[in-house]
Amino acid sequence: MGLLDKAIAWGEKKSPWIIHFNAGACNGCDIEVVDALTPQYDLERLGILQQGSPRHADVLVCTGAVTLQTRDRLKQIYDQMSTPKFVVAVGTCACTGGIFDSCYCVTGGIDTVIPVDAYIPGCAVRPEAIIDAVGKLLATLDAKEAGK
Amino acid sequence: MLLSILKVLVFPGLLFLSVYSLVLEFVDRKVYARMQNRKGPPWYQPMADMLKLVGKKVIVPSNAQKFVFSALPTVSLAAVCAAFLCTPVWGETAITAYSGDLVAVLYLLTIPTLCHFLAGYNSHEVYSTIGAFRTLTQMFAYEVPLFMAFLSPAILAGTWSISGIAAFYHAHPLYALINLPAFFVSLLTSQSKLERTPFDAPEAETEIVGGALVEYSGRYLAFFRATAIAELAAVASVLAALFLPFFTGIAWVDFALYLVKTLVIVLMMVLLRATMARIRIDQTLRFFWSILTPIAMAQLILNLFLRGGLGL
Repeated sequence: MGLLDKAIAWGEKKSPWIIHFNAGACNGCDIEVVDALTPQYDLERLGILQQGSPRHADVLVCTGAVTLQTRDRLKQIYDQMSTPKFVVAVGTCACTGGIFDSCYCVTGGIDTVIPVDAYIPGCAVRPEAIIDAVGKLLATLDAKEAGK
Repeated sequence: MLLSILKVLVFPGLLFLSVYSLVLEFVDRKVYARMQNRKGPPWYQPMADMLKLVGKKVIVPSNAQKFVFSALPTVSLAAVCAAFLCTPVWGETAITAYSGDLVAVLYLLTIPTLCHFLAGYNSHEVYSTIGAFRTLTQMFAYEVPLFMAFLSPAILAGTWSISGIAAFYHAHPLYALINLPAFFVSLLTSQSKLERTPFDAPEAETEIVGGALVEYSGRYLAFFRATAIAELAAVASVLAALFLPFFTGIAWVDFALYLVKTLVIVLMMVLLRATMARIRIDQTLRFFWSILTPIAMAQLILNLFLRGGLGL
């Protein structure tokens, strides 16, 4: 691993830009994600910025169980992100499907469509839990880099 | 020869520009965060963002023209670097000072805007096309007052060279007070040129995703970000040389003064960014054409009168 690769790996850990996607949530977890981005919690101190375009983002923050309507779009947005990229499932529905599991219009959790790197259970999740999970995800980046 | 190459490449040239623009971006974001009662990013944040973007995979849209798509970021960064070399940093004279370099700098600083437009247009995507046309519309709004405001001090000084203007106002510091309306206009037009709030309708990320750069990723996006912060440094340097005429004649004291002056200008721009919300593109047009252009024109006529009529 050269010096430049090390510097890039360091930059990856220090500057995760997120994009928020609602895959069919009841909006509870979305409110909490927005809550985590407010000045009260100030995610920018960890280098986290919210981006509008999937091309610019590193972490896809998904909420809600995947419905049939959003399944293709979720896959498309994931494919539009440039590698290395990570997915965080926010909320119980995003982890397993929650109370909407085995509903006629629901595919299940986020990991039935795209690979997920971190699961944050909770209904609705607390902003502190989101920040903690992102921190833990960043801490595991080293192991991922080694395994690639 | 070797010394001048070193001057261009290391100090006060390109290496200084890259370090200083990272510092300015940090100051920009940190002060912005403090004004919102947040803690703000750590000091290494701009560098971490750049390194991460360099390491990411570049995706070129299949319907974009590949050569144009990949050449635009480099062209815009090169233009901004060339503009920065014409501004005085160490002492009163720039590394590449020649008569008429103010006009050259103004045109060089237009190139990144045109590159933004072409980048958005070439991406063939709905949001980027909207962003591209907003960029162009906004350019037609701010370009006229910007040119008039930047050329007013030059007309009073009777020279078109930035270093010459700085030397003139060093000799007559009180004349700079005449240019205060032009300074006000040029601060607002620079804010619009840099596409910062309240004039960031071209890249409104909550509305048209990210404007012209929606399809850019990886190191090309890093180049465009580098262009934006280097443009901030270049514009702040030009404003400092034209409107804040405090020089001592001792090179290192002037360098310290240069840092103070550019930081003050950047702080004023952050204050604008932190205290105002985004205005619509038609409001931007109306504001520039009906308020700032008359002010800039009055300043231009006043300076022409003072120069020609009174023979200052």
